[in-house]
Amino acid sequence: MCFAVLSNYMRLLVLFLLFNSMLVLPVLGEFKFTAIPDQDTARLQQRFGKIADYLSGKLGIEVKYIPVKDYAGSVQSFKNNEVQLAWFGGLSGVKARLAVPGSVAIAQGAEDPYFMSYFIANVSTGLSFAEEFPKGIKGRTFTFGSKGSTSGRLMPELFIRQSFSQTPRDVFSRVGFSGDHSKTLALVQSGSYEVGAMNFKVWKKEVDAGRVDPAKVQVIWRTPAYPDYNWTIRGDVDETYGEGFIKKVQQALIDLQDRAILDAFPRARFIPADNSMFKPVLDTAIEVGIIRN
Amino acid sequence: MLKTSLTFVGIAFIAVVLADLEVSTQHPWLEMGRMVEGVFTPELSVIWEFKASLLNTAIFALCGTFLGVILGIGLAFFFQFLPVRLFCAFIRAIHEIFWAFIFLPIVGLNSICGVLAIAIPYAGIFAKVYAEIIQESDQQPLEGIPKDTHRLSRFFYGVLPVIYADTKHYTAYRFECALRSSAILGFIGLPTLGYHLETFFKEGMYSEVAALLIVFYFLIASLKYWLKPRLVPVYVVLAFALLSREISLSWENVARFFTYEILPWPMRRQGIHDGTYTVSFVLIPVLEWVKAIWLDEAWEGIWKTIVLTQIVLVGTGLFSLFVFPFACRHFAGKVTNRIWHYLLIIVRTTPEYILAYIFLTLWGPSMLPAVWAILLHNGAILAFLSSNNADLVQLRIDAPFKRIDRYFYEILPRVYGQFLAFLFYRWEVMMRESAILGILGIYTLGFYIHSAISDDQIDKAMLLILFTAILNMGIDSISQVVRRRLKISTKLSIAS
Amino acid sequence: MDSDTPSCLFSLDKENISYQDTTILKNVTLEINQGEKVGLIGPSGAGKTTLLRTLYQRVSEQSAFVHQHYALVPQLSVFHNVYVGRLDRNTTSQNLINLVYPREQVRQEIFPILDSLGIKEKSFVRVGELSGGEMQRVAVARAIYRQESILLADEPVSSIDPHQAGAVLELINQVAETVVMSLHAVELALKYAERIIGLHNGEIQFDLSAEEVTPVILKELYQQS
Repeated sequence: MCFAVLSNYMRLLVLFLLFNSMLVLPVLGEFKFTAIPDQDTARLQQRFGKIADYLSGKLGIEVKYIPVKDYAGSVQSFKNNEVQLAWFGGLSGVKARLAVPGSVAIAQGAEDPYFMSYFIANVSTGLSFAEEFPKGIKGRTFTFGSKGSTSGRLMPELFIRQSFSQTPRDVFSRVGFSGDHSKTLALVQSGSYEVGAMNFKVWKKEVDAGRVDPAKVQVIWRTPAYPDYNWTIRGDVDETYGEGFIKKVQQALIDLQDRAILDAFPRARFIPADNSMFKPVLDTAIEVGIIRN
Repeated sequence: MLKTSLTFVGIAFIAVVLADLEVSTQHPWLEMGRMVEGVFTPELSVIWEFKASLLNTAIFALCGTFLGVILGIGLAFFFQFLPVRLFCAFIRAIHEIFWAFIFLPIVGLNSICGVLAIAIPYAGIFAKVYAEIIQESDQQPLEGIPKDTHRLSRFFYGVLPVIYADTKHYTAYRFECALRSSAILGFIGLPTLGYHLETFFKEGMYSEVAALLIVFYFLIASLKYWLKPRLVPVYVVLAFALLSREISLSWENVARFFTYEILPWPMRRQGIHDGTYTVSFVLIPVLEWVKAIWLDEAWEGIWKTIVLTQIVLVGTGLFSLFVFPFACRHFAGKVTNRIWHYLLIIVRTTPEYILAYIFLTLWGPSMLPAVWAILLHNGAILAFLSSNNADLVQLRIDAPFKRIDRYFYEILPRVYGQFLAFLFYRWEVMMRESAILGILGIYTLGFYIHSAISDDQIDKAMLLILFTAILNMGIDSISQVVRRRLKISTKLSIAS
Repeated sequence: MDSDTPSCLFSLDKENISYQDTTILKNVTLEINQGEKVGLIGPSGAGKTTLLRTLYQRVSEQSAFVHQHYALVPQLSVFHNVYVGRLDRNTTSQNLINLVYPREQVRQEIFPILDSLGIKEKSFVRVGELSGGEMQRVAVARAIYRQESILLADEPVSSIDPHQAGAVLELINQVAETVVMSLHAVELALKYAERIIGLHNGEIQFDLSAEEVTPVILKELYQQS
């Protein structure tokens, strides 16, 4: 190929890309929120764009979705006031509300007050389902989900510590953090790890989607219920967007009926929540040492 | 030279025994098959869909390199002063990703964070390399310049023209590195290519991964066609113009970071408990806090980082010694040479972070993926360089005909000094990478730093990053001592 | 030597000088007066360069120097290399602007010098692309452009054709009042210098006017071990 032509082509391409990017740049003063679903993290912008539009309509202001990679990122953005509203896990919500005085939990999924984690094991371990805590996991390899996850890390770690009076690294021969629930399932199913802990909703969804092979991986224990995901908003938004803004956002979330939007989370619907509901999560985080006391 | 080499091989051997190098996946080939399938069925439509991240990758790299160059030049002028040299060694001892962790709470998860994360360590690197170039440059032209000439005129007439070519070459090479850095910053959440790469890797969508990697290779391979010195100012202005539209700096956050969040936890503890958020100066608890972090986390992190680094150092050396003949004209035909040449370029173009990600998926978590990722990336660079050096050797007409004799008696003795110099030159780079790959789950320093960031314990993360930087500076100075002792220099080959 | 003339420029009195630990001048006594055209001759390593540099260090304020190895900036053009001769007399901003856009006045000053040395058509060629002889002319041009009354030159025509070398030396003699130059070619020294100093092994062997130098003296200078 002629290099001169190629070089001109590249220049055009670059200019074209530049031009395109100008169209998607943000406007200042918008109300921004972030959310990380508990699975299927690809193309978040498209999926959460819809709820941005919905909120925009309900609140009468510009609303924008800001994608983040993990809970650490969402907590940080919330602290930095880069987002004013966030869909947090139980643990990240607690962290965020500690870091931003005045912020409040306003809503949660209908399933979230009674959330659970499943301990799953590769069939090769010979472990099978039981009602009581599976002591047989001692000495195995074990993977959590994301380091900042409530259902993938905090709660499982709590029950492990309570049962063995030891840290996970002392209990297991190897401890990993897969990054998310689907990955935990994949790693345990493939045998990379013998045992793992994951969000029960993701498990169910993966089973429905046919991605779970019962000949390879099985649930061996269900944790007791605990509160998890929540919508948390900064306390100072009332000042910025007018008195009663927090209430308006809460109402908008609770009124949300659109299946397509709810499936992005995925939740049946949203119900009211408040800070006190997450006291058990805070206590656990302190006990496990993730939040310092 | 042989004695030193063997000592390091011995250390690496011990490290291999100590390291966890297990393959824990049961069907690595299955996943491998899916990856290969992805490579052959790239989902090219995602390129258009994620064009903004491609653009961001270029913008961060451009602005980061540009700022790095400006700061680097400024620092290079004062490089004869020890505090400046230490400062530069310190800022370049911290990996771009760790810098991003530092800037995240200060400026937020936006473009400035990405640009600064590249600019700061690069400034330290540029300062060092520019100062070295000036120091090693031809001094004769300076003799012709009148004695009382102002420093600045002296520089522009007697120094800059002389060093321009080397400097340009090195800066261009660094820009390529910056594109890699920029891309992988996406893995921790900045809006560059790595952002989507990570997601697609995680979701096992390898066709999408392949497409994004292809654009990335294309971006780098096409550099020589669009990165013309004349056009650079245009690019820089455009990049900063685009960047400036996304800048939102809150002084409140900056202040909170420096006056509150980086303070050791014991100083803030009381204030958090009684809700006043005041700071109390308590020395003993702070020392205990440092001690606890050292014992619980830093110590193991440092140990694991060193073990990994030493394995990788020797592995890289062995790999490149084994591979470079394939790309060298004295050992193989033109076609073989070409093929290996391109193979090496592709491997070295792939950021080690991405290689690690691939191997982690294939083999499961242990040191093994990290070893191979760092080893391949650096080994490819080194093999490429060694084969180029070996190609320069003119063999006698009666040189040994058997390739193995040729290798050990003619070529290797001639290229070994340079090879070793460059290997030790990259020692510090390998250590930085070893630390960073902890983010992916091996218990090197990166693991603990990432955990602290995940737990929103910025004070702890900063302390661990400080430990990492000191460790790196230590390795850097050991490497310099070793190179000086062996009287070997990378002069010929600083920029590959 | 007429030691009490007020126009004495240099004087060395029984001095020992070392330069870059190589050649050492031993017990050198020497005076050079304003207006003299001095030629330094002697075998390689005799100390000619060291002597010239020593002289230059003492009067660098009023003198221009032609370096044996040219000391040019290969990456800059002929024009800019010549301009370097007066870098210290112009402001920094003038110097910087000149790099990009040379003023007409500066051009008018430099072009005639290049013309007289026969390299005007190469004005904007990078020095690194020139032949050795051409580079040497640039080095001479730079010294001339400095417009000092004293010109010290270390082998200024070593790379120039013998039949053109004369013209260059002639020019040097014309522009500078006092000239001290080391020359490899003895016949050129005898022709273009009025006073000849023979150096050997760091010592002054003879110091005579050009007419007084005989083939016997020369033979002695170059043949002793």
